[in-house]
Amino acid sequence: MPSQQSNQPLPPGFQLDRYRIERQLSLGGFSIVYLAYDADETPVAIKEYLPNSLALRSAGTVPVVSEEHRNAFRHGMKCFFEEGRALAHLSHPNVVRVLNFFRANETVYMVMQYERGRTLQEHIRRCKGAIKEGFVRNVFSRLLNGLREVHAQKLLHLDIKPANIYLRTDGAPVLLDFGAARQALSSDGPYLKPMYTPGFAAPEQYEAPDQLGPWTDIYAVGASIYTTLGGAVPPAASARLVKDERVPAEKRWAGKYSKQLLETVDWCMQLDYLERPLSVFALQKALADGGAPQRDHSWADTLSQRLKGLIGK
Amino acid sequence: MKFTIFHESRIGKRKSNQDRLSYCYSRDALLMVVADGMGGHLHGELAAQVAVEYLTEAFQRESLPRLPDPFLFLSWGLTNAHHAIAAHAAERGLPEAPRTTCVACVVQDSIAYWAHAGDSRLYVIRDGRVLAQSRDHSRVQAMIDQGQLTAAEARHHPARNRVYSCLGGDHTPQIDFSRKTTLAAGDIIALCSDGVWGALDDATLVSTLESASVTDGVPRLLDEAEARAGETCDNLSLIALNWEESYGDNTTAMVETQTMPLDTHTTLMGGFDAPRPRDPELTEDDIERAIEEIRGAIQKYSR
Repeated sequence: MPSQQSNQPLPPGFQLDRYRIERQLSLGGFSIVYLAYDADETPVAIKEYLPNSLALRSAGTVPVVSEEHRNAFRHGMKCFFEEGRALAHLSHPNVVRVLNFFRANETVYMVMQYERGRTLQEHIRRCKGAIKEGFVRNVFSRLLNGLREVHAQKLLHLDIKPANIYLRTDGAPVLLDFGAARQALSSDGPYLKPMYTPGFAAPEQYEAPDQLGPWTDIYAVGASIYTTLGGAVPPAASARLVKDERVPAEKRWAGKYSKQLLETVDWCMQLDYLERPLSVFALQKALADGGAPQRDHSWADTLSQRLKGLIGK
Repeated sequence: MKFTIFHESRIGKRKSNQDRLSYCYSRDALLMVVADGMGGHLHGELAAQVAVEYLTEAFQRESLPRLPDPFLFLSWGLTNAHHAIAAHAAERGLPEAPRTTCVACVVQDSIAYWAHAGDSRLYVIRDGRVLAQSRDHSRVQAMIDQGQLTAAEARHHPARNRVYSCLGGDHTPQIDFSRKTTLAAGDIIALCSDGVWGALDDATLVSTLESASVTDGVPRLLDEAEARAGETCDNLSLIALNWEESYGDNTTAMVETQTMPLDTHTTLMGGFDAPRPRDPELTEDDIERAIEEIRGAIQKYSR
């Protein structure tokens, strides 16, 4: 992406509605997220709708939207509402909770529960490849509970990656940042491009936005597990379509993690979505019970593999 | 052929958009056209539309999948478009034939061929500089050529919009042809109306198109031109092409024609008014209602 002017965040101490801004937590193409405190000194995360390409805040608090971008800005706001609406209907321990929604500074804000802990990305960095299989199965199985709720609301996350998976201090994973949710933004010309993160975005996010489905998030889950196992992001799906240089998990970590887990990762990361688990439930099953993913080989093969494994020990 | 192409036309601050543009490609050949209907005359947009349609249709007829002779195609194409405009005007009983500038470019076998009448321009950009460009059929350009005017002075010259060649009208157009220009991977071709080049200097045009893919560069350039032209902004039209022999990063926008059937074309033409599809405006009330609804849901579902 070409460099664009970036928006100035609201300053620390700024009183925004009934919240006091503490600091900026993250800056994305569509929004800024702040840590803030409400009147009871409860910390919250506030997401400010501020698409970089359409609105510019260089000074003051109100962003400038040119006449030409007004419609696109409002259209993007609609999508921000959709995100809020969807999250408001979700009350699940593994999905970030929306607490409030309000309007100020000629834009809109979403207040979310602030979780203490760290992102899976940070966790991976700290552990440096020493992540146990049990941890992976546990975190992702629970995360998938949340994702099932999301899909049940007819919503796709579309930007699942370790940076958007939060590990609360009690160890529970929470799915964050539904900023890419829905693809409606892509229809509005060159101004609001669909967002995706190379490495985690499925091929259909690049090539066939009409073929998005639960399987698209499943690809990202597979890529997130792949990253968790090895610490490095897999090659982008767009590059894989040209020349697939991804080393299959089954090969790359053979012996380090169970064959069944590695097969599950590779299953999720199939370029053809029809070859992937078609629902979160199918994937959850594979992760939870350690049973064979339903693929080319029969249960008997798997059984004999396991027996070999046992005998080997 | 491998390339990334992007086009956009904006109305600027004018009442109507009299610019027309189109591109069209077969497996082995590509055509790009920009026509700027002349506002001082009646139905400029009609002339521009006829010119673009005529050339595109001729290209579809003749490039199966190659043009036998690109220069001959351009020569006949522009001349016949000129006559087609006159015929169209007669048919509709217009008092005078409307006029349009026109620049058209064919790329075949990695060679670019172009021709123009008037002051819509073509640039070939390589390695951060202008490798070749069309020479306007305008009085100020003639004065520059004779050393009577510098390029900087020409930008504000009162006669800068006067052209002495165009399609349509009463006179036979003067059509100038380029040399055969061999393209290398990374080259950029840009065709634009005078609204674009008049508001920008060449350095900005080159650096913006060089710095990003045309899919980003074109909208940014038009933003820039609009900002600089301010309240008097003319219609702005720009087609730009990244010629790519090697794989680019953005496989979605890149076109690969090798697998196209021999007898088909892909055409994209701006319609008569070609407005950007607009969403129904989100009103203040809609915003308030959406916020209320979300708050309601939060209340209802919180535990």
